[in-house]
Amino acid sequence: MTAVIEARGLKKSYNNSQALQDVSFTVGTGRIVGLIGPNGAGKTTALKAILGLTQFQGDLKVLGLDPRSRRDELMRDVSFIADVAVLPRWLRVSQALEFVAGVHPKFDRARAMEFLRRTDIRMRSRVRELSKGMVTQLHLALILAIDARLLVLDEPTLGLDLLYRRQFYDTLLNDYFDKERTILVTTHQVEEVENLFTDVIFINRGRIVLDASVEGLAERYVQLTVTPDNAARARELQPFYEHETFGRLVMIFEGRPAAELAPLGELRTPSIADLFVARMAGNTRTEAA
Amino acid sequence: MSTPTAVTWKERVPAAFAWLTRHPSARAFHTLLRREFWEYRSLWMAPLTVGVLLVLSALLTHGAMQIDASEPSEWLDPHVKRSVFALAWWGLTIPHYVVMILVLSFYLLDCLYAERKDRSILFWKSLPVSDGATVGAKLCVAGLIVPLETFLVALITNVLFTIVWDLRAVIGHAPELLVWDTVAFLKTQTLMFMGLMISILWYAPFLGALLLASAWARRNVYLWVTLVPLLTIIVERIAFGTHYIANLLHYRSVGIWGSLHLETAVFGSFTSVGQATVVSIPALYDRVHIGPAFTNIDLWLGLIFTAACVYAAVWLRRYRDDSY
Repeated sequence: MTAVIEARGLKKSYNNSQALQDVSFTVGTGRIVGLIGPNGAGKTTALKAILGLTQFQGDLKVLGLDPRSRRDELMRDVSFIADVAVLPRWLRVSQALEFVAGVHPKFDRARAMEFLRRTDIRMRSRVRELSKGMVTQLHLALILAIDARLLVLDEPTLGLDLLYRRQFYDTLLNDYFDKERTILVTTHQVEEVENLFTDVIFINRGRIVLDASVEGLAERYVQLTVTPDNAARARELQPFYEHETFGRLVMIFEGRPAAELAPLGELRTPSIADLFVARMAGNTRTEAA
Repeated sequence: MSTPTAVTWKERVPAAFAWLTRHPSARAFHTLLRREFWEYRSLWMAPLTVGVLLVLSALLTHGAMQIDASEPSEWLDPHVKRSVFALAWWGLTIPHYVVMILVLSFYLLDCLYAERKDRSILFWKSLPVSDGATVGAKLCVAGLIVPLETFLVALITNVLFTIVWDLRAVIGHAPELLVWDTVAFLKTQTLMFMGLMISILWYAPFLGALLLASAWARRNVYLWVTLVPLLTIIVERIAFGTHYIANLLHYRSVGIWGSLHLETAVFGSFTSVGQATVVSIPALYDRVHIGPAFTNIDLWLGLIFTAACVYAAVWLRRYRDDSY
């Protein structure tokens, strides 16, 4: 597994707040990594560092290059959608294609046209005349037609309705992703992208609180729905999170063998969303203590 | 069934410029230039509009150049006609350059500011285009392409205006003033072209300063470039009773023309028309020497200042993190 991104000890502060505090992680080729955290956790700062859009302390190599000094070179192999609403409003669809084709050696115009043909977007339209969903489709068509090695998406579906969100991720998986490419997605809406990721990194208050492959999660974490009379015994095994819903007590354990927990209730692998909530809550509690 | 597709002129024109776009970085730069004209349509629409209005005015004016009937003979002298003719041409270009200055000022102030305001900079920056190339393209548009385009449109306007006016004179609808004179035409256009080239170099510091303001201002870029100079002038005057900044701005506005000794040249180029006198542009052409403009050290200092501004604008676009 070759590393596409290697971050060691990233630090960044805005005014007095620490956006990144000693963040280290590695992203390998052919992975789809979710960078997940609540608003203001440092996700966007980490992405901006990776894309050479901000200054920071620490070591960072993206495709072997330091984004601070070799940004222009890097952008040939990295593409990103910072946000859905950044296409200039005066731009025509035809001009957008013309522009990207003119400046990007790895842009395949026919492929972009193919994406657009499946939508209702007309070549003559200006971005300001398109709905938010259509702007996203256009942006996606432009970016997915670039033969990049790393694609970075920052809250790509923020403010879109369900239909477009689903379509967005379907297109990403079916028409773009392959073993040569790597995708890094930030989001704070975990539920809908659960099945997309091969790896997840949870970030909170500028620190990484979890960094694991999705297969690894199943081995490390167990969610136990405790039968009422076993609650005390289950607590002795030190769950790092417990929660009561509809009168059912749910606990999440890290690194406990299933055999030890099975007699106490019903076992399953926690969903990424459950784990996210547990991790964030646990993290807050630890800090409060 | 394969029929050879006919090559339309639309395909042929880009083919003629293929050499421009063969090399990837030349192609990229060419695309960056085109982008500016997509976004700021006034860059090409304004000169065309002025040209059309001027030609229309030649069609619609009624006796705007009415001759004093008591002295018709002097006006009909070919030498005088040539002077008036050249002067009319010179005057006709003024609206073009006034509009150009307005259009370029707004363009320069907006070009690095708007993309941060609407955050489209994040789209432009997602493509492999260096900040130097982006700012360079804007500099090239404002400092070279638009002035040359304005010069060409003004020249074509001059020719069309003369043709329309003379056609009206032939049918007796206008005074017969504008007689075609190729030497006068070439001399007038050359003089104006030289003036334009010197203007570009001399006024470059303004261009650089506006570009830098555009890259630097977080908001209210128009206020910054108007209020700040105005307030410093007033504060300097009240606090120190001096006028250094006002003088500097004044010198930077008109200083170069002094070094060309234009007044002397103009005085030597008067032609009398009866009671009145007119400046003969062709005579002026023979008298003006542009050499001193280039030996003026302030012109070169201004260019160094411009380079510093452009460098700072590139640096700001590259490294400033406008957090969102």
